Amino acid sequence: MSSTVMKKSMYWFALPALIFYLTFWIFPILRLFQYSITDYNGYAQAYNYIGFDNYKELFRSDILGISLKNTLIYTFVTVIAGNIIGLALALLLNMKIRGTGIYRSLAYIPTLFSAIVVGFLWSYVYMPDYGLISSFLDKLGIANELNFLGDYSTALYSIIFVEIWKTIGTTMIIFLAGLQTVPSDLLEAGRIDGCGSWRLLRHVKIPLLATAITINVTLSLINGLKAFDFPFIMTNGGPGTATNTLIYTIYKMAFTEQLFGKASALGVISFAVIIVITAVFVLKMNKREVSA
Amino acid sequence: MTLRKVLGKGSVQVVVLLVMALNLIPLIIAFSTSLRDPSNNTNPLVLFREMSFGSYKAAFDRMHFPEALWNSVVLTGVSVVFVVLFAAMASYPMARLKTKLSKFMYLFFLSGLVVPAQMVLIPIVQMINALHIPTNQYTPIFMFITCSLPFSTFLYTGFIRSGVPEEVEEAAHIDGAGLFQRFWTVVFPLLIPVTVSVIITQGVWIWNDYFFNMIFISSAGDSPLPLAMLGFLGDQQNPTQWNVLFAACFLCALPLLLAFLFLQKYFIGGMTVGAVKG
Repeated sequence: MSSTVMKKSMYWFALPALIFYLTFWIFPILRLFQYSITDYNGYAQAYNYIGFDNYKELFRSDILGISLKNTLIYTFVTVIAGNIIGLALALLLNMKIRGTGIYRSLAYIPTLFSAIVVGFLWSYVYMPDYGLISSFLDKLGIANELNFLGDYSTALYSIIFVEIWKTIGTTMIIFLAGLQTVPSDLLEAGRIDGCGSWRLLRHVKIPLLATAITINVTLSLINGLKAFDFPFIMTNGGPGTATNTLIYTIYKMAFTEQLFGKASALGVISFAVIIVITAVFVLKMNKREVSA
Repeated sequence: MTLRKVLGKGSVQVVVLLVMALNLIPLIIAFSTSLRDPSNNTNPLVLFREMSFGSYKAAFDRMHFPEALWNSVVLTGVSVVFVVLFAAMASYPMARLKTKLSKFMYLFFLSGLVVPAQMVLIPIVQMINALHIPTNQYTPIFMFITCSLPFSTFLYTGFIRSGVPEEVEEAAHIDGAGLFQRFWTVVFPLLIPVTVSVIITQGVWIWNDYFFNMIFISSAGDSPLPLAMLGFLGDQQNPTQWNVLFAACFLCALPLLLAFLFLQKYFIGGMTVGAVKG
């Protein structure tokens, strides 16, 4: 078909995008591999090649394991909880009740706020003593010492919750659009065959939502693996290293500790982790979607 | 049976209301607090007791709202125009040519989505310096365009493949239209639905981004809205004035909220163009 109509010369159309993409994205990524075997500090002109020392050091220290673990928890919880809550909201708003249009818009509003604004709002919600949750419990007469962001055991989950809150509107809208493509005669047929609402959901709706599920899960997976905003804005990675995600650790290593070589090595490792997890997942999902 | 149905519907309504209220509580309380005078430090849980624009006035002045708004408009507007042009053009061969190269290009662009900008920041800054691109308030535009390409080309390529029949192009070809003319007069106008989607998805993240702005913009007068927010968090000497901070939060979000209010259909439709057709 690439005959006289679809000429090969249309490749020229990709040139402006390719120039930008190669110059400002691909080339810097390749430099990362180069810097990962140097002792470059990020600003000095001179640096030395030190072989795999950065990698060895990373594998010997705790920070790699801690950041990796935090990132995986962050990703796992946002993917699972985010999609379940998003789907539940979509199912709820897909029912024939009054004012669904307004509810839909309201549920979408948090996605419009900048991460900075969301971080500030939730810092207030979580603040000890005067914050929303603490002062509300005080009102109820429950004395509390809650410090969501300052406590090792709750800090990570607290920022995960914020991430879910911010992204749930998008997830829900995509599920809703998927639900609206489910043909109503198929649901009718199911009901006549005696399916309850759970079985309708499990055996009719969810299989037909395969595309929406793939999109939502893929987006939240990538989003989670790249997590940076809320550790940066709300906790500075703390307390201790409790909310150090891979990307936050890289940022801190490069700019606070000025170990750009080591940060690059961690970048290369993170890059591999992200690529492998995403690729395995996308391949699996695609297989499922076809067979479903 | 009918009673159960009525009860069922009623309880669904209650559940939806409850869920929405819970979801929006932080926003409601922040909004109510922002309507208090900066000096009012009573418990914010007492909602809408005061109607003062004092905090808004303070926030408006401190973030230099008109300048910040203008900076946001310029940054987002210019970036989005280029994203639409570059991504639509690049997607054309990727959707139309069925060669190994076009398949590779599609995946090549898409794979950029998994790389976080924070990771490659220093090489990016070096590149910008090496090319003698001056670092000022417009420098982030280069990065906004670049980082928008993976998702935008994904949306455009999918749409051209499934939504623009090759026959219309053949007709134009027979009428003697060249490739360039054919793309801009026949194909591009048919891409309006997905262009809306690209403008909204990319426009929202660019508008809200603080990271690239933080890296490249140093003077306060050049800050777009999200960056202007950074000045409101207090420290030991000047504890955070929450009333003013919340007012600033809403001022920062106001333009997008207004856009959403008037263009809801496009926002919600735009999110799903790529998602459902995939």
